Amino acid sequence: MDLTTTVAVDEENSVARVSLAGALNTDTAPAFELRLQDVVDKNYALTVLDMKDLDYISSAGLRVIFKAAKQTRGRGNKLAAANRKPHIDKVFEILKALPDMAVFANEQELDDYLDSMQSQVRGD
Amino acid sequence: MSNSISTRLITVLTAAAALIISAGMLLDYRVSREEILQRLTEQAVAETRVVISDMESWLNSVEATTRLLASILEQRQYSEAGLQQMLRDVVSNNNQIFGAAIAVIPGSAEGNEGFAPYFYVRDGQIHFADLTSDQASYTEQAWFTEPLSRREAVWSEPYFDKGGGEVNMTTFSVPVYRKDETGASYPYAVVTADVTLAAINTAMQQLHLGASSYGLLFSRKGILMSSRSGQNVMKHYSELHFKGLDLDGWRLMFQRALRGETSTRDFPCADNSGRCTIRLGRLGITGWPVGVGYHQNEVLSPLHHFELKTAAISAITLLLVVLAVYALISRLTRPLSELTRATEDMARGNLDTPLPRASGEDEVARLVRSFSSMNRDLKSYIADLESVTASRSRLEGELAAARDIQMSMLPEGGEALLNVENITLWAKVAPARTVGGDLYTYYRDGDQLFLAVGDVSDKGVPAALFMARAISLIQQLAGTATPPHQAMTELNNALERDNHSCMFVTLFLGVLDLRTGRLRFASAGHTAPALLREGGVSVQNQATGPALGLVPDQLYPDNSLQLQNGDRLAIYTDGIDEAFNERAEMFGSERFNRALLASAHLSTAQAGQSLFTAVTDFAGKQPQSDDITLMLLDYAWPAAASATGRFTLGDTLTGHVHGWMEPVLADWELAETFKTELTLVAEEIVSNIQKYAGLADDAHIELLMERHHDKLVLEVRDPGLAFNPLREARRSTLGEDIESAEIGGLGVHLITQFTDRQHYHHEDGINVLRVEKDRPPKLDGHS
Repeated sequence: MDLTTTVAVDEENSVARVSLAGALNTDTAPAFELRLQDVVDKNYALTVLDMKDLDYISSAGLRVIFKAAKQTRGRGNKLAAANRKPHIDKVFEILKALPDMAVFANEQELDDYLDSMQSQVRGD
Repeated sequence: MSNSISTRLITVLTAAAALIISAGMLLDYRVSREEILQRLTEQAVAETRVVISDMESWLNSVEATTRLLASILEQRQYSEAGLQQMLRDVVSNNNQIFGAAIAVIPGSAEGNEGFAPYFYVRDGQIHFADLTSDQASYTEQAWFTEPLSRREAVWSEPYFDKGGGEVNMTTFSVPVYRKDETGASYPYAVVTADVTLAAINTAMQQLHLGASSYGLLFSRKGILMSSRSGQNVMKHYSELHFKGLDLDGWRLMFQRALRGETSTRDFPCADNSGRCTIRLGRLGITGWPVGVGYHQNEVLSPLHHFELKTAAISAITLLLVVLAVYALISRLTRPLSELTRATEDMARGNLDTPLPRASGEDEVARLVRSFSSMNRDLKSYIADLESVTASRSRLEGELAAARDIQMSMLPEGGEALLNVENITLWAKVAPARTVGGDLYTYYRDGDQLFLAVGDVSDKGVPAALFMARAISLIQQLAGTATPPHQAMTELNNALERDNHSCMFVTLFLGVLDLRTGRLRFASAGHTAPALLREGGVSVQNQATGPALGLVPDQLYPDNSLQLQNGDRLAIYTDGIDEAFNERAEMFGSERFNRALLASAHLSTAQAGQSLFTAVTDFAGKQPQSDDITLMLLDYAWPAAASATGRFTLGDTLTGHVHGWMEPVLADWELAETFKTELTLVAEEIVSNIQKYAGLADDAHIELLMERHHDKLVLEVRDPGLAFNPLREARRSTLGEDIESAEIGGLGVHLITQFTDRQHYHHEDGINVLRVEKDRPPKLDGHS
C-alpha cells in the first residue's frame, strides 16, 4: 500500500497542514520522512498531521512522527495530529506516543484551535 | 361326530333302555325262577312219591300173598302134597315172587321130623327143592329163626341164594302159629317168599329225574339193594364211594331215613359236570331207606331254557329299542345336523350354502330361521365392509403418497445425516400417523449452517398441510442473511396471514458459525434444546417468543450459544418428552437427558437411533401419541488452515509481505481490525530482521500463518544472527517527554501489545519467532 502526502501551508498563520492518505509503513516511511523534514525545516508555528485518510501506521511511521515532534519542539514550534482513525489511535495509545501532542478529533476542534492561536498572535 | 347330540342321545337313551329292560327282565326272571323251582321240586316229590308208592304196592302184594298163605296154614291142616301144590301155585301166579317156602318147625305136631318144601323160578321154569335135605339145617337159617323170635313177619337182609336161585334176593318171612286143644298158641311153621334184587331194581329204576338220575334202596342195615348200575349191590353204604359225600354224611342221612325223616344232600357230581343231589327217605312198608340221586342241571334244565329265553328276549327287545331310538333321534336331529353342516360351511366363508328347510315352530325351526336372517345380515354387512375397505385402502394409498411427498420436503426424506468438516448433523422425523406436523431442515452456506426444528399443532393431515406451508417459508429464509430472531418475525407474519384455522407451529431456528462454533438462535415457543458437554447434560436457557401463526408482528429474542469442541446439541419436539407409556407416565426431559448422556459414546446417527429406541421402548404397547423429531448436532473445532510465504530481503519487503498476507487473511474472513493489527505485527517483525539480522539483501526469510478456530499464529524464520528480539531488542521507554524520548525502539512494543503470546527459539541456525493472536468472538455473523 502506498502513501500519498499533501502539504497545504497557511503562511499568514504559519500553519502547515500535512495530509496523509494510505499506509505509513516501513516502505513508505523514508519518503515521508524527507517530505516532513522539508515542512519542519520551514519552522511553521504549527504543523498539523491530518490522518483522515491514513489507514495504517507502523512503528517506522511513528518513528518519523516522533522525530518531527522532537525537532519542532526543539525549535519552539508545535506538531499536532488530527482525525486519527480508531486503530491508528490505538497504536498511539499502546506506545504512549506523544502524550503532550495536541490531538484534534475533528475539523471543528482544529478550527477552534487555529482561531484561538490567531487571537494569541494578535495579542487579544 | 362322536360328540354330536344325536350320538349322545342315542347312547344315553340306549343305556337307559338297556338298564330298564335288564332290571325288568331280571325281576321277572327272579320271580319266574322261584316259581319254576317250586314246580320242579313238586314234580320231583310227586314223581318220587309215585315210584315209592308203586314200590310199596309191589312189595305189599308180596307181603299179602305170603300172609295169606300163612293165615291159610294157620287155620287148616293140609296134606304135604296139598301144601306143595299151593306153594307151587303161589310161585307160578306171582311174577314178583321168585321163590316161596313153607318150613314147618320139626316136632311141632304129630311128631314129624320136619317138612320144608321150596319152589323157585329159574330160567322160566319152576323148580322144587326140599330144604330138609340141605346140609345146613333150615331151622338155623335167619329167615327161619328171626320171625319166630320176633313173633312177627320180617324182611331179611339181602343175601345170595346158593344152591337155589343163585341170585341176590331178600326174603319175607311170616311165622305161623296154631292153637292146641287148650287154646294155647304154639309156633307151627314159617312161610317165606323170595324177591330178587333184580326185580326190585327194575321197579326202582322207574324213578326218572333226568337222564342220569337213579333210584337207591338199602336194607335196614345199610346194604345196597338197588342202584343205577347194579355194580355195588350187596355192598354196605360205607363201602360206596360218592365223591364229595363223606361217610358221616351218609350215616346221618341213613339214620334219619330209618327214623322216617327225609333228608337231602348236595355234592359235586362224580363226572365234575355240576352238582348232584341225593334225597333219602324210608319205604313205609319195609322200613328200607329209599332214595333218588339226580343231576341238578338235568332237573333244572327247564329253568336253563327259561334263562336262555329271557336273555334272548331281552337282547331282541334292546335291539329293537336301539333301532327305534336311533330312528327317532336321527329324524329329530336331522335338521340340526344339516344346520350344523351349513353353518360350518358358512364359517368357511361360503355364505351361499343353502340352509335346511324349516317347518313348524320347534326350536330347530326357529334356529334355522334365525340363521337365515343372520346370514342375510352378514352378507349385506360384508358387502358394506368390502366397499368401505376399498375406499379406505384408496385413502391409505393417497395418504402414503402424501407421506412420500411430505418426507421429500425434509432434507434426505425424513432421516438425514450431514457430515461436513467439523460438524455432524443427524435428524429424523417419525410421524405418529402416516403424515405429521413435525419438521426439520438445514442448509449450509459456507461457514454458516442454518437449522430449524418445528412442531405444528395437532397431527395428521391438517398438521401436515400446515407443515408444508411452514417448511416452504422456512426454506425460503435459509439462504438469506436475516438473523434468526428477525427471520422468526417474518415467518410469523407470513404464517399468520389467512390462517383461519388458527394452526400454529413452534419452531427452533438457528444459525451456526461452523468456524467459531457460535450458534445464534431464536425460539418460537419450542422446547429448549439440551446440550451434552463434557459428560453432563444441561437444558439451554432460552428466551422464547410466541408460537408462529397466531398473532402478527411479534418480536423474538435473540439467543446465543457458544459450542465447544466435542459438544452435542439435541433439538427435539415435544413428541419425545411428552411420550406416554401404558401407566400414563411421561418420558420427560429428565429421562431424555439421561438417555442423551448414556448415548454419549455412540456416533451421532447411532445416538439418534438409540434415543428413538429409548422413547419407543418406554412407550411400550402404548401407541405413539404425537409426531417425534430429533436433531443431533455434533460440533468440533474446525481444522487449522495455513499459508506460507518466502521473501527476499530488500527495499520492498514490507510491501511483499503485505501483498501476500492480504488475500490470505481476506479468505480467512477475519475482522478488519484484526487483519490490520496482524499485518502491523508482521511488518514490525520483518523490519526488525531487515535492520538487525545482518543479512544480505538476497537472503530469504520465511513466513507461516495458521488459522485456528480461536487464534492466528504467525511464525517468522530467518537465518540471521541468533537474536531474541523479545529480550534483546532495544525498547524505548514509553510515555517519556518528547525531549527525553528515544526515536525508535517501538516495534517490539507493538509486537507484544498486538499479540497474546510470543515465543522465540533458535534451531539449526535459524531464528524462529512465533506469535499467537487470539481471535475475538464474532459478534455478528454477517459483519
